[in-house]
Amino acid sequence: MSENRGLIAIVIVLLVALVGLVCVGIGAVVYCPQPGSMCQGLFGAPSNVSQNNPSQQPTAVQNQNQGQNQNPTQNQNPSQNQNSTAPTGNTLRLPGGSGLGGDPPTLDPALTSDVESATYIVEIYSGLVSFNKDLKIVPDLAEKWDVSNDGKTYTFTIRQNAKFHDGRPVTAQDVQYSLERAADPKTRSTVSPLYLGDIVGFNEKYTGQAKTISGIKVIDNYTIQIDIKQPISYFLAELAHPTAYVVDKFNVESGEQPWYLKPNGTGPYKLVQWDQGQLIVLEKNNDYYGDVKPSVDRVEMILGGGSGMTRYENGDLDAVRVSIADIERVSDTSNPLNKELDVEPQLSTGFLVFNTRKAPFDDPKVRMAFAMSIDTAKIAKVVYKDMVAPATGILPDKFPGFNPNLQGIKYDPEGAKKLLAESKYASGLPDIVWSTVGGGGAAGSDTQAIAEMLKENLGANISIEQTDWATYLSQINGTDVDFQMFDIGWSADYVDPHNFIGLLFRGGSPSNWSGYDNPEVNKLIDEASVEPSLEKRIEYYQQAEEKILQDAPVLPLTYGRDYWLTKPYVKGAFYPPLVIERLKYITLEK
Amino acid sequence: MAAYVVRRLLWLPVLLILISLVTFALGIYGPGDPVQVLMGLHTRPEIVDQVRKEYGFDQPFVIQYLNYVSNALRGNFGYSVVKFPGQSVSDLLAKRFPVTFQLNLVALAWSLPLGIALGIFSALKRKSWFDVFIRALVILGISLPVIGLQPVLTFAMARKHEFGTFSIGPFLPVGGWKGMFAPEVILPAFILGLGVLAVFTRQTRAAMIEVMTSDFIRTARAKGLKEWMVVGRHALRNALIPLVTIIGFTIAGLFAGSFIVEQFYGIPGVGSLAFDALTSREYYIIMAFTLIAATVYVLINLLIDILYAFVDPRIRYQ
Repeated sequence: MSENRGLIAIVIVLLVALVGLVCVGIGAVVYCPQPGSMCQGLFGAPSNVSQNNPSQQPTAVQNQNQGQNQNPTQNQNPSQNQNSTAPTGNTLRLPGGSGLGGDPPTLDPALTSDVESATYIVEIYSGLVSFNKDLKIVPDLAEKWDVSNDGKTYTFTIRQNAKFHDGRPVTAQDVQYSLERAADPKTRSTVSPLYLGDIVGFNEKYTGQAKTISGIKVIDNYTIQIDIKQPISYFLAELAHPTAYVVDKFNVESGEQPWYLKPNGTGPYKLVQWDQGQLIVLEKNNDYYGDVKPSVDRVEMILGGGSGMTRYENGDLDAVRVSIADIERVSDTSNPLNKELDVEPQLSTGFLVFNTRKAPFDDPKVRMAFAMSIDTAKIAKVVYKDMVAPATGILPDKFPGFNPNLQGIKYDPEGAKKLLAESKYASGLPDIVWSTVGGGGAAGSDTQAIAEMLKENLGANISIEQTDWATYLSQINGTDVDFQMFDIGWSADYVDPHNFIGLLFRGGSPSNWSGYDNPEVNKLIDEASVEPSLEKRIEYYQQAEEKILQDAPVLPLTYGRDYWLTKPYVKGAFYPPLVIERLKYITLEK
Repeated sequence: MAAYVVRRLLWLPVLLILISLVTFALGIYGPGDPVQVLMGLHTRPEIVDQVRKEYGFDQPFVIQYLNYVSNALRGNFGYSVVKFPGQSVSDLLAKRFPVTFQLNLVALAWSLPLGIALGIFSALKRKSWFDVFIRALVILGISLPVIGLQPVLTFAMARKHEFGTFSIGPFLPVGGWKGMFAPEVILPAFILGLGVLAVFTRQTRAAMIEVMTSDFIRTARAKGLKEWMVVGRHALRNALIPLVTIIGFTIAGLFAGSFIVEQFYGIPGVGSLAFDALTSREYYIIMAFTLIAATVYVLINLLIDILYAFVDPRIRYQ
């Protein structure tokens, strides 16, 4: 028998067919009770949704009861599960978090360091100030504020009509408690020093030397005063980050483990249900104090990963983030989905970093030669299928301070060869190791394409070394970066050029991966960070940016883009490059 | 017998100490650090130091290890740092273990009986078309990697296939976890069970063929027993004995297998938690996972040995 290979081959083919058929069979039987599937056509009448519910169109209140009373693991009968049928009532169904699904690591504002968590937190909680749709700072819990003449003292007046979800009014003491809590070393926040570290006395509390933050004073129940060390112009932008959001002391100290499973926030939406790995349900806060009131009654965020695109096309999701595999299909204007497509810039730039402390990149001519031999436009077009835009500078397009006159570093292989010949490595380049994040196997096609360009244009001998993310971080986060050349993507934390130019290129900054240290640039950055006039500051940053590009410690490769599909009945949806409140702007027209 | 069980159980703590020492050392001395992963690119050395101090990661290895052990003995297995900051490891595992258990239960429920049944028939109809067919299935089941199977099946089952105006599917919903009776479980459980099915078919077939050619079967037939009596009462009982071992190890092994499947299908079980913990260097979760896995293996091993004494009267332990 086993000698007869042909026979076995046929059998295997048959077998695959059988396995497929069995799956189809099981699938059809199990999936059938669910309306909207193929079974309607195949098996005649769809199962009757209204059998179990007197009303075919459940209202939000019914949905709410369903969410609260039913343990979803007991809700086995798919025909009872209206959530996965065609949209009914005023319910918006979105992929979880930033569109990737999965549980948010935390709903504790003080600990939020990731986009997934922040997406929920900005809807459930609020801060003194926040970003509006145009990414401008606007009053939130604070109705107004005064800045002292020296720019170092901010006095906030808190709205008297702002309430927690449980009805308790928000006071200056709550703001103080929240900021003190974020600074408390016991809270173990890794983000609070980044955003609140400019407050006088923050570091003393964070390192356990002081019991309170000396720079925060409660004037009366609705007035709070915050002193900062230097008159930095982006302090309000820092306060708009979740770390500075207001939490309810009684909620935090309720003893529930962890407390944020039942958050008592102040935002336009409240959390009513969180089934880990399955679903997060937000409901509108009818007492919301803001000027823009939420319209959608109920928002379901689907946490299960997997094929969002399929669910969107089947009508089980109202919006979806398009992955690179589907980009070409939805970008085709003859595809009906193309009308539902939104392409939004992200505030992120991808860089190729040359470590200026390591040979041969200690010579600016070598760095420039490398930068000039890489055709970023071609990479964006061919490798990324135009899912990203070629970078022309350090600041992403659509970022305040973006300089439209910059042309990036021009692709010029001949010029690059000449520069290399003038450098101190003219006699021969040492072997170069490019470190990149990866799990083994082939390196990314972008990495391979760039390495190939460098080899072809400069004769550089480049080997690609992959490390996992944790190891990679332990290498690049430090003053003594061992990598020679590596790639990295940076996204903005707050909308200020300082977040790119200052953090990444100021000599001595912990995120200055290339080790670049130019006194002229340092001076410009220092001047810009205390300059009150936005226009002037942008001018300083643009000058610094130009100088940095001439020295080429990095090559800006790409600007990020987000691709989203939204059903036409969802009005007012937008996909901001920063995590900001957005659900309250959405209405459903069905 | 009792003395034997006690002796075996006494080895468990020794084993756990050894395993925990090695795992802990790998976590502490290996590259990468949970606090660094937590901060990502937005790092500042002084913050990393401060938070490491709060977690006690700045202590020397021995102190950290002893702290861990003394806390673990009191039921505190530490806290998550990166993925679920502040949540206790025991809570996380308690929430996720039932999911993995149910998923594996479904996988076993279809594959184990089917595997044994196919093995028996395959052995009885040896060298027939059916046998060839089953053996092909076994080869397929053993050699298909989950990583290759997953995207193919998901594509075939969970997508709407359009052929001009005509379209079929999707046949199955995928992704996430809605309990063991929801259709979302079918694809992952099918993939998980495929390997089990293959192993059991193969082992049952081999065992049955061996038993069916032995003398006592010939005797039973010579006595004039009906064929189903021969197979069911005499052959099968003896053929099942070697299977006990494999059943035990398959159950233990499935938990490791659901690592990948859980990750692919976004199932919030122990496997995906362990995967996240490994990539983000969450020592405490890795430790708990390793220790639980070690304990389960040791106990199942012991259970198998005890079961042997019951199913096979020839075996005695001193």
